[in-house]
Amino acid sequence: MGKYFCKRVVSAIPLLLVISFVVFMFIHMIPGDPARMIAGQDATKEDVEVVREQLGLNDPLLVQYGNYMKGLFTGDLGDSVKNGKTVVETIAPRMKPTIMLTISAMIWATIIGIALGIISAVFHGRSLDYIGMIIAISGISVPSFWLGLELIQGFSVALNWLPTGGLDSWQSYILPSLTMGAGIMAVLGRFTRSTMLETMREDYVRTARAKGLKETLVVMRHAFKNSLIEIITVAGLQIGGLLSGSVMAETVFSIPGLGRLLVDSINFRDYKVVQALLLFFAAEYIVINLIVDVLYGVINPKIRYN
Amino acid sequence: MKNRKKVLAALLAGVMTLSMGTTVFAAAEDGYAVKATNTDAKSGDNDLVIAIEGSVSSMDPANIPDTNAISATRGCYEMLVAFNKDQELEGQLAESWEVSEDSLTYTFHLREGVKFSDGTDFNAAAVVANYERIIDPENKLRQRRTYVVAQPDGTEKFRVESIETPDDYTVVFKLAEAWSPFINRMSQFCMISPAALEEYGNDIMNHPVGTGPFICTEWEEGDHTTFERNEDYWGEKASVDTVTIKEVPEAGSRTAMLQTGEADLVYPMPADQIAAIQSNDDVNVLAADSNIMRYVTLNMDLPELKDEKVRQAMNYAIDKDAYIQLMYSGYAKPATSIVPSIIGGYKEQTPYTYDVEKAKELMKEAGYEDGFKLTLWGDNTTQEVKGMTFIKQMLSQINIDVEVLPMEPATISDKIYVEKEDAEINMWYVNWSASDFTMDGSVRSLLHSSMVPPTSANTAYYVNEDFDKLLDEGLATADPDKQAEIYGEAQTIAWEAAPWLFLGNDQILYAAKSYLSGAYVSPDGAFNFTHAELAQ
Amino acid sequence: MAQTNTNLDQNKFAAAEELPKAQSKVKEFTKKFMKRKTAVVSLIFILFIILMAIIAPFVVPYAPDQPDYTALLQGPSAAHIWGTDEFGQDVFSRLMVGSRLSLSCALIATVIGTAGGVVLGLIAGFYGGFVDSLIMRCCDVLFAFPDILLAIAVVAIIGPGMVNVMIAVAVFTVPSFARIIRSATISVKQSLYVEVARSLGCKNSRILFVHVFPGTIQSMIVNFTMRIGTAILAASSLSFLGFGANVTEPDWGAMLSLGRNYLNTAPHMVLFPGILIFLTVLAFNLLGDGLRDTLDPKMN
Repeated sequence: MGKYFCKRVVSAIPLLLVISFVVFMFIHMIPGDPARMIAGQDATKEDVEVVREQLGLNDPLLVQYGNYMKGLFTGDLGDSVKNGKTVVETIAPRMKPTIMLTISAMIWATIIGIALGIISAVFHGRSLDYIGMIIAISGISVPSFWLGLELIQGFSVALNWLPTGGLDSWQSYILPSLTMGAGIMAVLGRFTRSTMLETMREDYVRTARAKGLKETLVVMRHAFKNSLIEIITVAGLQIGGLLSGSVMAETVFSIPGLGRLLVDSINFRDYKVVQALLLFFAAEYIVINLIVDVLYGVINPKIRYN
Repeated sequence: MKNRKKVLAALLAGVMTLSMGTTVFAAAEDGYAVKATNTDAKSGDNDLVIAIEGSVSSMDPANIPDTNAISATRGCYEMLVAFNKDQELEGQLAESWEVSEDSLTYTFHLREGVKFSDGTDFNAAAVVANYERIIDPENKLRQRRTYVVAQPDGTEKFRVESIETPDDYTVVFKLAEAWSPFINRMSQFCMISPAALEEYGNDIMNHPVGTGPFICTEWEEGDHTTFERNEDYWGEKASVDTVTIKEVPEAGSRTAMLQTGEADLVYPMPADQIAAIQSNDDVNVLAADSNIMRYVTLNMDLPELKDEKVRQAMNYAIDKDAYIQLMYSGYAKPATSIVPSIIGGYKEQTPYTYDVEKAKELMKEAGYEDGFKLTLWGDNTTQEVKGMTFIKQMLSQINIDVEVLPMEPATISDKIYVEKEDAEINMWYVNWSASDFTMDGSVRSLLHSSMVPPTSANTAYYVNEDFDKLLDEGLATADPDKQAEIYGEAQTIAWEAAPWLFLGNDQILYAAKSYLSGAYVSPDGAFNFTHAELAQ
Repeated sequence: MAQTNTNLDQNKFAAAEELPKAQSKVKEFTKKFMKRKTAVVSLIFILFIILMAIIAPFVVPYAPDQPDYTALLQGPSAAHIWGTDEFGQDVFSRLMVGSRLSLSCALIATVIGTAGGVVLGLIAGFYGGFVDSLIMRCCDVLFAFPDILLAIAVVAIIGPGMVNVMIAVAVFTVPSFARIIRSATISVKQSLYVEVARSLGCKNSRILFVHVFPGTIQSMIVNFTMRIGTAILAASSLSFLGFGANVTEPDWGAMLSLGRNYLNTAPHMVLFPGILIFLTVLAFNLLGDGLRDTLDPKMN
């Protein structure tokens, strides 16, 4: 197991290198010139040229990539062109809000989603099944910016129960994490239902039932436990999407997170920040996958790592 | 159960407003778009919260990327001269100043007894240190461009020939050649403590030390900037204990914050949402004329747009009143010149009054009765897209088929600053605001023939020698009467040639709780909170 | 990657595939499907929307792009049953005509994305080894890219417009499909009838498309219907971020996103597009669930 773990970590390095290269080329291919963004619309060609030279944007792309990688290995991610802050200074304070929000959204969405899925599977074909699924699917049927704005109208403006944004108190987490989690709840609910339906037909579940075990025990201990692997895979994938895709909730609820930083940086063509963020997302994606794989083994010791 | 009913009631109330229709607003002359009826509301605390749309992306006053950063830095930094609420230039850290007859020498007499918040003295040496910091290329500061002009041959031309300090409280700037915007630009030249510069270098943005009425305690880009009162301020001390500038990108969320009392002032206030805020009796919505010019550039190099008649026809085909109603709920004025009325040297021109018949007539004379096709570029924000859609609808009346292409600003820049023969631009829905309020700053880079892309932003490819000459003459004199005459003529030339579709000048809209006074937004979109007071 | 141990019971040879006649299969399918009421209702709703997409331009009361500056942002009335928008255009007419654009955009994007994902997933799962690693690593790279960046990049590089939004949405449909189909393929591959086909000497390509592919259809359908919903929402989210499709054409997502500034002053502008999007996405999902249950041979 330890060996497998090490192997996975080592094998992630080439993937990260490939991603760093793809990202670098990608972002430089998008039309737009940071020098122009810095100099302003009224700047003359000569002014822009001065800035380009300062930023080293006149070097060939591969040279720029080489310089970037050199910096990367010495721990220097470069500076943001917007205000001269280092990339680390720019990104670090944005991590906490996004991670906290992701976790809070994940917690409620997983619990409710799985519960809805189980209920629907157990009462398959009956009205509880339909109700459960309609609730779950509703979460994925509205754009999250719309949901967020409606929640603010209802709970902040009309009722004045919860703050409109920021992350200053535990109350302020409620609306954004509802907004972010709705989609996850839907995906998990649906997925849990379908895997549960499958496992509940398996022989061992039938056997358990035939043995006269209580239905709840059959469902939870046998059917659910065996569905868990696939549910975790799906949940793991969703976390990755949440960390990077939280831009809507962050915009609507004025939360200074990574999603908004990414979109702002893309708009400003702040290459160094975009590169660092994407590498971070890629690394995080790899780590989550690794955790999911390790969890497989914990849940089902029959799985061998090779 | 009760609570659910409350939610339902709230939702229903929302739906009910469906049937109310829309109220028509008119631009408010007294500055109030909506006046609060509850005028003796009290604030619960003495902490001012301002919610803004964009980001305070720097706290280094010499390296400012946007207007919000200007506003924020003015909390803790001051300049030699500054614009007051009525847009008049007055001394701030300079008590007075003189300009020589030949417009080349500017002498500033500095205020004595002013200290930076780190306890060091403000004096002539501090002014020199700040100037030298800005022009040092190693520092890569944006403001360097104000004083140093890059030449096509790669050399540089310094606008200031020398800076002298006859005594500790006098500074003399000698210009290389006459340049009338100099004094206005001085209003962006902030004084940073030289001792702090020595200590922090360019990291000064994280440790601001100025002479202002507030001390910046926290700057978290993308979230908030916090100030507290400077107890040792040289002038009248600030009234509020703290100021927090909160970044709230979504318009609906900003409005909500004002309604819930989480913010005391929100800017900008979208005109679309004024109706929603009217139900709160303690909110003032304020409107002020701005320096924003809204227009569409017409590429005069295109065969269809070469003819002056076509361009004039297009101007006649646009219903300016509908534009203002639709886009700004009435809080704007039709454009009456190539610059907003607030710009120095403005002269009113004969309007292109909405007249489809006349427009059709002109198109017919030009031989384009059946119209043609054009593309229209613009930023991809909701508001800009709305404006572009409106232009499309208007021009379809004279058979011009417009394809609306919203793009990211960075992408547009890339497509605009290209060599002349590669230009793909037809029309560009855009706006311009000259932060120094001068005529030259407002039109040179947009209409001077030397500013055709890729050099700068003359995307109309407007070339007129007389116009160029007048602009250059205006720059060489600091005499306001002479300038007014020169600039008046220049405006008439460009207005009649119609290189743009002249749309309007929108008003700055912001909303504040009625217990807040003294805080305002200037015509250039910078907000000022130094004299803010919260009624207790 | 960890591989799950599949217990293949080699002795269960006798339980090979039965070969029922095609006609009775359709009949049986219909009968089973009709029993699932939510699915039937969803199907009817979807058919209605599709019908609207076809005939709306000829039957709606107003031209969808007919502005009326004297009737801006009016609430529902006899003249405009769902009110008017910021240009005084009739919201009902725009939504009905817009169904053509929104549905076809979502459908085409999903079909392209699904096709790509299914082919890659089948190949990866069936051949395994190096091909599998290569395809799955590429998917990893795509997965590691946030959707938004992909979309922004696609739209920024090739310009704004409906087709480009479809490409953007299609691109982020591919990796998730490839992954799902891959795992379905792996389990089908090890099932009995594929073993039989292999032992009978069938060519790989034939086994892949005739025997393995049909086995993955079930997971494909569920994800396909879900993805159509996602595509409709993605188009609207892209509008929110300023990378929408045709802004002047009626499109549900764009209408919802552009209307959000009127949420508290003219709520009908977001209410009706919102409800329509909600119901459509819900219907596609419920239909998918119904089809899945019907197609599942082990379920009744």
